[in-house]
Parts: sequence; C-alpha cells; structure tokens
Amino acid sequence: MKHTKMQLSTETMNLGFVRKVEALSGSSVRRCFQCGKCSAGCPMRSFMEHPPNRIVRLLQLGQYERVLAGRSIWYCASCETCTTRCPNKVDLAAIMDALRKCSWDARGPSKESLVQLANRLFLDNIRTYGRQYEMRLAAVFNLRSGKLLKDFMLGPTLLTRGKLKMFHRKNRNIGEIEKIFSRIEELRKKGEAP
Amino acid sequence: MTKHDLNYSYYPGCSLHASAREYDESTRGLFHALGIGLVEVPDWLCCGATPAHNVDELLSLSLCAKNLALAERVAGDLAVACAACFSRLKATQHHLAESETKRRQVEYAIDGEVSFAKPVKHLLEILATDLGLDRLAAAVRKPLAGLRVACYYGCLLTRPPEVPQLDCVEAPTIMERVIGAAGAATVAWSHRLECCGANFTLSRPGVVLKLSGDILASAKRAGADCLMVACPLCHGNLDIRQKEIEEATGNRFGMPVFYMTQLLALAVGVAPSKLGFDSMIVNPLPLLREKGLV
Repeated sequence: MKHTKMQLSTETMNLGFVRKVEALSGSSVRRCFQCGKCSAGCPMRSFMEHPPNRIVRLLQLGQYERVLAGRSIWYCASCETCTTRCPNKVDLAAIMDALRKCSWDARGPSKESLVQLANRLFLDNIRTYGRQYEMRLAAVFNLRSGKLLKDFMLGPTLLTRGKLKMFHRKNRNIGEIEKIFSRIEELRKKGEAP
Repeated sequence: MTKHDLNYSYYPGCSLHASAREYDESTRGLFHALGIGLVEVPDWLCCGATPAHNVDELLSLSLCAKNLALAERVAGDLAVACAACFSRLKATQHHLAESETKRRQVEYAIDGEVSFAKPVKHLLEILATDLGLDRLAAAVRKPLAGLRVACYYGCLLTRPPEVPQLDCVEAPTIMERVIGAAGAATVAWSHRLECCGANFTLSRPGVVLKLSGDILASAKRAGADCLMVACPLCHGNLDIRQKEIEEATGNRFGMPVFYMTQLLALAVGVAPSKLGFDSMIVNPLPLLREKGLV
C-alpha cells in the first residue's frame, strides 16, 4: 500500500456521510480503537487495497471518496468474522453493507464492476422469476461481462449431472413479488425508506 | 421405524432445486427414513441471499419476511437446508424484532403482517436437538465406521453470534456430534470456519480458487477422507471447482465433498441410488466402496 498524505480539515472531512453510514448500519464507527482484529481474521484481506480496520479509520476521518472509489467494499465476502470478533462491538459487516448501498445508489463510483453486475443480475432474476435461475444467471453474466468462455467447460459437466436446469418456471405468485419491488421503490420515492 | 411426532414446514432454497439437487434428495430421503414429516412451503421465493443484503437491506428483509409469511400456511417449525437462506431468515427475524421502523416499512412492502411466531431451524438443529443424537444413533443401520470426515461449517451456520444461535460461534461441534452419532470419525483441522469464497464464484472465481484451495489443503493435511458441508454454495466451490483448484495450485486432492444429509441417509439405510452421488463432480464411490459403505 502506497501511503499518501491526507490533509484533514472541515472541507476534506465529510462527517454527514459518516453519520449516514452509522444510521444505515446501526453501528458506530467511533467505537473502533484500531486493534486490527477484524483485518487479522478477514479471509478477503489479500484482495483489498484497504483492509477492514483501515476502512473504519478512513470513515472516522470522513474520507468517503477513498472508501467508495476503491474495490475493497466489493471484495468483502460478508462472512461476518469481523463482526463476530470485534471487541468493541463495531458491526463491520453491516457497515460494509451500508457502504455498498451508498455506492450502489450513487450508481457506481467504484472501479469494481463485476461484483456489482453479478448482484444486479441476481436481483433481476428474483423480480422476473421469483427464484434463482442459475443457468440464466451464469449465461447472462458471461454475456454482459464479455467473458463469454468463463466456465465454458463446466457447462456440459453440470448438465450431465443434473445440476443445471435448462427450463425454469416463474413463481405462481410473481405478481406479489413484483409488488414488493415496486412498493419499496414507492417508499423511497416518497422519502419514507432509505 | 415408528413415526415420530416431528413435523416441519420446509424451505429448500433455490439451489436445492438445481445445482444442489442431491442436498434436497438426500434431505427428503433422510427425513423420511427417520419418520420426520417435511412439507414444502408453497410458492416460496428466493431469500435474496448475499446480493440483496449487500446493497439493499429493505429488499433483503422484505423477501425473507414474505417467505416467513408464506411458511405460516404450513404447520410445524421451518426447516431450512441452505446455510445462507437459514442465516438470512434468522437475521430478518432478529432485525425486525429490534426495529419498529424497519418492521413498518417491510409490512408495507409485503402488504401483510410480519410473523415471528415460527421458529426457523437448520436441519442440523432438528437432528441434534429436536430428534436428538440418541434417537439418531438408534436409527443407524450401516455405521460409517472408518470414514474420516472433515466437518466444514463455513461462515453462515454460526456467525454472527446473536443471529443463528446454532452452536458456539468460534468452536462449534454440532456437525461432529451429528456425524459422530452415525459412527464416522472426525478430524481436527484448521479451516473449518474459514470462508470458501462464496458468491465470488460468479464474479471473481480467482477468489474461490485461493480460499477453497486453502480449505481443501487443510483438510488433506489433517488426514480427512472427505469433506462434509451444509451449504450449497460451499459445496459448489469445493466440489465443482476442485479440479480447477488442483490445476491452479498443482495440488492433488481427490476429496469427495458430501452434504451432511447424504452421509446420514446412507448410515440410516437409504439406498445409495437415491442420494445423488452421481451428481457430485468428485466421484465419491471409490471411497465409499473402499470403506464398505456401498
């Protein structure tokens, strides 16, 4: 990690953003005293430019652009090890969810696009079918990410083992499922839900 | 075997109808053999899994609350097979009980009341606690003697401590106790609670090759014959990607990855042809033959 100088002032610190993350996650970032236990147990540590404890430090200092612009928040696996082990009860997994929501709602200031694409297709599948249509999820991901041959060799193997279903029926209650999505959009439009 | 008074509503989750069909088949076979009733919740939908709570908590809570409402139509506690679905459903009950605001938002989204009445239970809990290890052991017809099993918990069966409340969060033993009741030996190993790489299998498979590779290597070092899991995503990463991991790391594992219900059903006498061994990528039959189990 290259260490860059950070100028701290009321102009460079966005404390409103920190309060928003705290409200969304229901967890304080100010309780963290940087013991590093979260990062010590993090299985994704080696894939992140900012390990979990540094994400919290950057948040304490109001440096939201640095946090949101990187890939780190999208490389969290939600394994909950950090939350489990924090001696100060900082719910880091919930903070990561809150940060991803902020990044997602702002339509992606992050460099990490593949994880976001996978998430979007997964959620679209629920709205369209009700249950996951695994084969379509993988096929559309490959198409949209330009990785057409990814796992190409796995396809026939999985098909012959009965692990890929070619056809997938929509849920009978798909109308009720669509209603969940549209009512959440409605709540957000009216400012009644985050 | 006499009928028990145990009856459950059943939430299989999306994977169990496709890539994890052997988990569904062996769960039904095992529960039938044990005389435990299992009725699938009608019209259940995806729990939203990690992608929903990663970017949209309200959607995640609403999808799970809708499933909990649908489950009310079937009698009995809710039996859940997939570790991720189990975690999401339990987390939803936990968060909505804590926050009046979130509960109101979710009730508007699902156009109905949020129900907390039904206990959500992982299959492991039903076997270890509701049925009990003694009754499980008494049902064993073919003890898994000589099989050395590495029990793999992964992330979501036990973490975070307040939510699943299945067992001790850092040193659980429920899987070892359950498979031990069926006569198998279990190994002590380092990676039983480490993440397999989860849903990065779609977006960033390199992550899975590293993390699942470490898990397989650890189980091998401990002298295990096979891995036992209770999550379709862990299974996919450790079984389906095992050959790719071997090619990437130069290690040779050849380690069959069983769902815990496959091994237990085999022990209580369900026919091997009904347990989906043919759908596993790493062929388990040579190992099972060597141990005299098929």
